[in-house]
Amino acid sequence: MSSRFLASVLLTGATALALAACDREERHSRAKPIGETIPAGESPDTIWPGGTPAPALDARAKLYDNNSPAIAEGQFLYMKMNCVGCHFHGGGGMGPPLMDDEWRYGGRIDQIASSIAEGRPNGMPAWRTKLTDDQIWKLAAYVRSLSGQPSKDAVSSRSESMSATTPQSLTPREPAHTSDTAQQ
Amino acid sequence: MTRLLRAPALLTPLLLGACDYQSYQSIFSGDAATEVHQFNILFVVFLVVCAVMYLLVLIFLATGILRARRASEAANVVESGRHNQSHPLMRSGLIAWGALVSVGLVALAIASFFADRSMAQAAAHEKLSITVTANQWWWDVQYNSGDVSKTLRTANELHLPVGVPVRITLHSNDVIHSFWVPSLAGKQDLIPGRENDITIVPQKVGIYRGQCAEFCGTQHAKMAFVVNVDSYADFLKWWSHQLQPAAAPTTPLAQAGYNYVTQGQCSSCHAIAGTPAGGTVGPDLTHFASRRSIAAGTMPMSEGNIYGWVEDPQSIKPGSHMPTIGMEPKDLHAVVAYLETLR
Amino acid sequence: MRRVRTALLSLAAVTTCAVMEGCNKNPATPASSVVQSAALPGANHALPPAAAAPADDGNWTMPSKNYAATRFSDLNQITPANVSKLGLAFTFSTATTHGYEAPPLVVNGTMYLITPFPNYVYALDLTKEGAPTKWVFKPKPLAASQGVACCDTVNRGAVYDSGKIFFNTLDGRTIAIDANSGQQVWATQLADIQKGETITMAPLVANGKVLVGNSGGEMGVRGWIAALDEGSGKLAWRAFNTGPDKDVLIGSRFHPYYAMDQGKDLGVKSWPPDAWKIGGGTVWGWVSYDPETKLIFYGVGNPGPWNPDQRPGDNKWTTGVFARDVDTGQAVWFYQTTPHDLFDHDDINEIILADIPWGNGRRPVMFRPARAGFFYVQDRRTGQVLSATPYGYVNAYKGVDLKSGMMIPNQDKDPKQGRVTRDICPAAPGLKDWNPSAFSPQTGLVYIPHNNLCMDFGAMQANYIAGTPYVGADVKMYAGPGGNRGALTAWDPINRRKVWEIPEDLPAWSPALATAGGLVFYGTMDGWFKAVDARTGKLVWKFKAGSGIIGQPISYRGPDGRQYIAVVAGVGGWAGAVVSAKLDTRDPTGALGFTNAVKDLPMKTTAGGMLYVFTLPR
Repeated sequence: MSSRFLASVLLTGATALALAACDREERHSRAKPIGETIPAGESPDTIWPGGTPAPALDARAKLYDNNSPAIAEGQFLYMKMNCVGCHFHGGGGMGPPLMDDEWRYGGRIDQIASSIAEGRPNGMPAWRTKLTDDQIWKLAAYVRSLSGQPSKDAVSSRSESMSATTPQSLTPREPAHTSDTAQQ
Repeated sequence: MTRLLRAPALLTPLLLGACDYQSYQSIFSGDAATEVHQFNILFVVFLVVCAVMYLLVLIFLATGILRARRASEAANVVESGRHNQSHPLMRSGLIAWGALVSVGLVALAIASFFADRSMAQAAAHEKLSITVTANQWWWDVQYNSGDVSKTLRTANELHLPVGVPVRITLHSNDVIHSFWVPSLAGKQDLIPGRENDITIVPQKVGIYRGQCAEFCGTQHAKMAFVVNVDSYADFLKWWSHQLQPAAAPTTPLAQAGYNYVTQGQCSSCHAIAGTPAGGTVGPDLTHFASRRSIAAGTMPMSEGNIYGWVEDPQSIKPGSHMPTIGMEPKDLHAVVAYLETLR
Repeated sequence: MRRVRTALLSLAAVTTCAVMEGCNKNPATPASSVVQSAALPGANHALPPAAAAPADDGNWTMPSKNYAATRFSDLNQITPANVSKLGLAFTFSTATTHGYEAPPLVVNGTMYLITPFPNYVYALDLTKEGAPTKWVFKPKPLAASQGVACCDTVNRGAVYDSGKIFFNTLDGRTIAIDANSGQQVWATQLADIQKGETITMAPLVANGKVLVGNSGGEMGVRGWIAALDEGSGKLAWRAFNTGPDKDVLIGSRFHPYYAMDQGKDLGVKSWPPDAWKIGGGTVWGWVSYDPETKLIFYGVGNPGPWNPDQRPGDNKWTTGVFARDVDTGQAVWFYQTTPHDLFDHDDINEIILADIPWGNGRRPVMFRPARAGFFYVQDRRTGQVLSATPYGYVNAYKGVDLKSGMMIPNQDKDPKQGRVTRDICPAAPGLKDWNPSAFSPQTGLVYIPHNNLCMDFGAMQANYIAGTPYVGADVKMYAGPGGNRGALTAWDPINRRKVWEIPEDLPAWSPALATAGGLVFYGTMDGWFKAVDARTGKLVWKFKAGSGIIGQPISYRGPDGRQYIAVVAGVGGWAGAVVSAKLDTRDPTGALGFTNAVKDLPMKTTAGGMLYVFTLPR
């Protein structure tokens, strides 16, 4: 083979590889599968007695975590389903703040989805019958973005309301801690 | 003259399945509303004046080409300084042409002024006030009244009384949309954070189709609405019927549907007057079954289409905010049975 | 003839003066009209009606002190001369850390405390050293009720009557317990948390009825006031504040003074269809009572949602004042302070009953330092507004038209859906929120602890889902002109002017106490408990408590005959939620916009719930 031929083959191969690495995120309009997908109450942060391993992250979480269309739809639902009425734009009010790094019931996306679906004893309503699981996962994805957890290229750069908090694409990323310094 | 303009060859008809709209919706359709009527007259004036001017220009151009050809064929004339001398008619011809153009422009300006003025005068004394709020991808329609307890909230359909000026105030809850009923009026944008308005004086009873005319997202193409122009008496009857709360379900299946709708996911977004459902995220469903289309003109209203829409809206209008719930078949039958009672 | 003409001239003068600003003239009073009260001190100024404000027996049996809501103690041992020696007698930790708004009650040697959620009731024995606990009553309200309480899980007080303590729980019950043993006598469920209702107000016991109103104007509830029989707890009547006349108990006795409040079924006609069913109009504030006419007076909360474009119309009967017959609940008159309220200016503030010099004699009136920013003096027989004067900076309204009674709005500040309207003063908590002022018959002044806040208001469409907020607004509050976020103002209600004012850095969110010793006590949100001279406003004593003070201070005579001052320090409420609920200060819209106004509060105080009782050394 001539060197020119070899060079063109290598160039084609490199381009193909580069294009394959462009992973366009999936926007799904229907849940996969449709129906009940949120586990009730499973949390890696509680004590699992007797050496039982803590549950791994739900496989469905990948469809929603760091997924920009999911976070955008979650933002729409957050305003419309009155999450903003108790938690405001992350600062809290009737409900605890969602933008800080302290999570009473866990800050992983499946834990947040479980909190939304099941409700929580000190006043968080249970949404399992009022929203589809797909909508709840999307809300959980958005709630994670309020505390700077998803990657910056997936989050919404503006809220559809009065300019109040720093845009999520500008805030630093923060890891979540499970802690409950709030007293009941 | 306007009849000529209706020739289908010139315009693309818009058909909508089994609906009984006019065969097409067109801003040239003539006399369905005052604004359209004025616009058509103005259009004809412009067409005539500009056609005459255009023909004259073509004639002068042709004359010029032919004379040049004849001149070059005539003889090999050596430049002798004749080019300094203009044709005897040139000066007066230019003056005449300039005068003709001026007269034409002034005529157009005057015609335009009169058309605008009569459109504005027709709109000056609006008797009916409607607020339309555009959402992605449906129309929230509210009929305002001096007696606020007669305020009516409906969706995706307007009913207008013939001959009455109606002022439609336009808002948007998210992005820019545009309100366009081609047979009745021109376009007017709905811009978030801003209040626009458009005034229509419909003149002919009938059913007209409108649609969103500003790209607003994935389902912009499926954001249409229906305008019914009725007689004044029919319009008032319609309004008072729409103010009635939803009829209570009478059959067990409809009752089961009522329970699902008011206690399940539906009431998170939809409102049905007379029931606990009070959501404002999606269209008001109190008289859902009395409308001509489902999902803002996406499908005509029929039992099969209701089934399809309620079961899986994401396969019909993917990206819209109505989720595919994945209902049990028994729940689906119940919900559709209940929705069909909401006339 | 001359007297009639002078009286008419006085009437004209007052009416004119009320409209013009800065008009300080007293209505002309012929000398003979004050003959009957010449012997009393302060005869030329307002006095509480004797029936509603009986002589002080050294106890404090209801949060407002008496039916006239004077919050004035006749005890005069502690004076500006000796208050510098005021020191702690004892303390008590209530073991709660939410906002503490209630006063301690003192009845014949026992002190009663009611805490915010979980609404424990403590009885302390004042006859023994250190005030040991006699009993604790734990009503165990549902924990989920914390999720539908808009502005911290507070309780504004219990009340003592006929050997029983009456109080409300957050999850909507009214409970009567025996004052000696602490055993429950009866409990009545009145509110439903599934609809978003809670109860935070202090009940009023009058003429054998326990009067209770609900909270939840931000949750799309329908507001009401109810009367329970004192002995059995059975519901005697319930009057809603929206809806048809038969629900609002409007009948033949109803005679509103102004035309704007007259008409049939206005509680339906002034709303879009069905909007009144979720229209708010709660009764979470104060109720006053006139034993002579057997009328109760109370203010009604805001209409819902906050976004006004969703509820065109006057929205009767919200943001106004009702007078009702205590036995039947039948409405006697109503005055709407802000028809079609735009700014969450609930009208639930305290209503102080007073008789003021008027022409030849005295006129029975009420004083209302309202949330909308005006100090109202109204005839309590008819509701007629005699004067409405701003007691701080107001730009949301242009004034009150005394002829029609209507509030004149400032169109520039009209919130529109989809837009942000800026610099609206007073902000949503109003020029003064629930925390009541005190009225001293000695000085004739009303001591008003209040706010100085303005706000930006972005209205958006609200979605109604029962049990969730129904608001539709983004709000951001900040200090008003001057930079101080609050003040204590001494207001002369007859001459309609400020006599002195103490600006406060933080909103003045604590109630006031006035004493016959010539002192006014109040607390600040960062924990200072202050005593000022009632005549001059000079600070004469202060004490730094462990937490911000938003609770009612009281004064009582202890078993040893000494005068005591008591207050519970525990910051919270709407203003202090940033501390008591540990909110994040990076979101200015938190706590309905209050977070922005008190971003510095977490550095200035911490949550608590400690009772402090002060007295002079022997």
